[in-house]
Amino acid sequence: MDEENPELAPNLRRQRLLLLLAELRRFAVIFLIASFGIFLALEAMPEDPVSLRVKNPDPARIMEIRESLGLNDPWLVRYVRGVGDFVTLDWGQSLISGRPVREEVARFLPATIELSVLGVLFGTTLGISMVLMAHATGWRFLLQPVRGLAALGLTVPIFWIGLLFILFFSVSLGLLPVGGRFDFAHPSPTGTGFFLLDSILAGNPEAFWITVRHLALPVLTLGLYPAAVVAGTLEARLGESYIQRLVTALKARGFSSLRIWGRHILRLVSGPVVTVIGTQAGALLGGAVLTETVYSWPGMGRFLVDGVLNRDLFVIQHGLLLVVVMALLAITGFDYLARQLDHQLSIKPEDSDA
Amino acid sequence: MRNLKRFLLPGILGLVLGTFLTGCGKGGDTANEAPSAFIFARGADAQKLDPADVDDGESVNTMAQMFEGLLGFVPGTLEVEPRLAESYSISPDGLSYTFRLREGVRFHDGTPLTAETARFTFDRQMDPEHPAHFPDASFQYWQNLYGDVERVEVVDPMTLRLHLSRPNAGLLSALASFPAWLVSPGGFDQHGTQMPFNPVGTGPYRFVEWRPNEAIIMERNPDYWGTPKPGFERLVIRSIPLNTSRLSELVAGHIHGLDGIQPSELTDLLEDPRFAVQSAPGMNVGYLAFNLLNERMQDPDLRRAVAMAIDRENLVALALDSYGEVANYPAPPSFLGIPEDGGPIRRDVEAAKSLVAAHPEWTAEPITLGTFGQPRMYFPDPQRIASLIRNDLEAVGFKVEIINREFKSHLHVTRRGDFEMALLGWMADTPDPDNFLSTFFHSKAAVPGSATNISFYRNPEMDQYLDAALAVAEPAAREQIYARALELWARDLPLIPLVQGKQITVLDKHVQGYLLSPTGNHFFGPVYWEAGDPEE
Repeated sequence: MDEENPELAPNLRRQRLLLLLAELRRFAVIFLIASFGIFLALEAMPEDPVSLRVKNPDPARIMEIRESLGLNDPWLVRYVRGVGDFVTLDWGQSLISGRPVREEVARFLPATIELSVLGVLFGTTLGISMVLMAHATGWRFLLQPVRGLAALGLTVPIFWIGLLFILFFSVSLGLLPVGGRFDFAHPSPTGTGFFLLDSILAGNPEAFWITVRHLALPVLTLGLYPAAVVAGTLEARLGESYIQRLVTALKARGFSSLRIWGRHILRLVSGPVVTVIGTQAGALLGGAVLTETVYSWPGMGRFLVDGVLNRDLFVIQHGLLLVVVMALLAITGFDYLARQLDHQLSIKPEDSDA
Repeated sequence: MRNLKRFLLPGILGLVLGTFLTGCGKGGDTANEAPSAFIFARGADAQKLDPADVDDGESVNTMAQMFEGLLGFVPGTLEVEPRLAESYSISPDGLSYTFRLREGVRFHDGTPLTAETARFTFDRQMDPEHPAHFPDASFQYWQNLYGDVERVEVVDPMTLRLHLSRPNAGLLSALASFPAWLVSPGGFDQHGTQMPFNPVGTGPYRFVEWRPNEAIIMERNPDYWGTPKPGFERLVIRSIPLNTSRLSELVAGHIHGLDGIQPSELTDLLEDPRFAVQSAPGMNVGYLAFNLLNERMQDPDLRRAVAMAIDRENLVALALDSYGEVANYPAPPSFLGIPEDGGPIRRDVEAAKSLVAAHPEWTAEPITLGTFGQPRMYFPDPQRIASLIRNDLEAVGFKVEIINREFKSHLHVTRRGDFEMALLGWMADTPDPDNFLSTFFHSKAAVPGSATNISFYRNPEMDQYLDAALAVAEPAAREQIYARALELWARDLPLIPLVQGKQITVLDKHVQGYLLSPTGNHFFGPVYWEAGDPEE
């Protein structure tokens, strides 16, 4: 894959470095804008989170607590301190629970990542494989469920689908748990916070199975939307006429359908599809609030929404900043990946701009 | 080859799905076997498990399984009885309370209960220099409920005495309430500032693990001093935010009880022989407040006209699905000094109409009515309450504009006094009338920004009555003073009590020994599993 011309190599490397620098600069600018936006929004919030926490506020005690949290300082000081605290991972405490925000995030983030990664993975695999299979085999009927799924995933609220799944799989059939991340009769796997990984590392098949059962419905629910989006993008791409011509040409060369679709065409269309996956993943990292709510999943989405509803200052501030950073990372990463794939594409002679 | 492929794929898919589904089916427990864990679910997680620094029901309902006070409420009632104290006595001047502690009680960490270990709970709330007086904790109840306690004295190893600066008739029920539940000083030595997440009490269950936003897991306290002994090996309190999901868990048999569902969601459960629905009036009042800082609302006739226009029975029937009562007084009738009659507010549409007709200045601009989105026990559907009230008021000629806010914003606005009329409620912490009346009518609670007297009603006479009622010990004398305070309220009507919501708990029929507490808290200590067919 790397058949680089030795003379071109330094040039290419420099170009890549510049690209990376540009990416980093963009990253920093977006982060600063976002952090300022979050700060302004918190500043514009009229409510005092400290006194709203209690039923019977005592003004003197509230002032003491505000002072000890540094909330009475000028706004610029608080903004700079806020960004500094975020960067140095000193995220303060939740005003409601008193727990360090960083510990809370360390607990809820793996739950969300485990769910979203599996959801996106499941969804995209489902979407891509169904569409490609339909085209490769010529079994048009395979496209029907994909289209149905797309319509379902895009139009019907996740909320409602989730409840339907619960009613069917858990209540009527009694096959799967209704919600939660793990069984309460067993100690939950410990270590990384990713239960699948932890139970494998601990060599505990029972814990693994419990985790899988709890993951099944949320992953299924969460995967529908990415499946729909990816399938839609792929379908649109495959409909383009040059693809049809390419397929005909490849067929004429005597390649098997598996090779044509699974390799050449998939690679050809992978760029935009990867970008779509990236956007999806970025969005899901903030926590799939609805899915987490329906399935009582202890993840970031619920944590952040509760934080906002409770005006839990440091949870909102650092939690949202973290989501911004992660979403940027995910999108940038997938963008880079897509560009790499496109780059290979650009070497192909049929692309006239290369 | 091609034919084979055609069958291979669906075949594999079917096989995988088949194993998955059948494999999942294992482990369905039979209903008659007593489960080792009692699992209860509610809508939100606890905030902190520190009795001195919380006010949310979820925290209190969790702590109620692990902590106890010197005094407690007789199960199912609001009557005070000795709990960790064996007996108590009050000096004739009402200024010192002496508690003889129960022998042989140990906290979950092994710390024995003595006067010295018991005083920790009071010292840390009272003394700002105390190492366990955490800087970010509000200790809001000390000021409100126990502020008259001046000094804690260890008389002998098993006798504790509280000295008061002035008599306080509400102190006994305050001492039975959660902020005074005894916390082990050993827990503080061991966990320091992490104490709120590692509760150590004396109760029937002891703390095992807290999985935030998921569940709090407790186990039987094998050394529990009281009777009956805890009925389950484990007690798990889950948080399941969505009501429908919580109900599904119950119907699927994964949990044994729940609370926090709306009356309208009960229909199916009432007919289901597997479950028992218990409900009882809670210690709450939902009300409509007039902001007396607002010029228009200062007219007593306007307040009277509004009161006469509202059909409160209709509110109970339509907005509470009859799971509640009309609130005739600003505190529930089970409280001392609160009459059980229909109250001073009479519905009179004609009189209201003529008042409105005589005051064109009332209707020049629509009156705003603030309400909020999230359900509370007193208002399961606050927006519906607001629109029913608007209908009633418009029927007599008022113009009303409803302003709907998210709960915390609404709380903020009402505490600052930025409204004309607002809907709100109060859930009492102790079963003492003072907990409602001083909250609503005392001028010290009318500081804009942190007001609970959101009418901003300031009347020196009222303050005098409320203070005097606390300083008197005999119930009969207190009742008389409260009667006068209620007269003042009825004359000035700074707020109109509307409804008293019911608390609803649903339990599996096998679960026995549960008594709804009028305090609104769950006490699962005596709960046990009764095997057998629930349908008989």
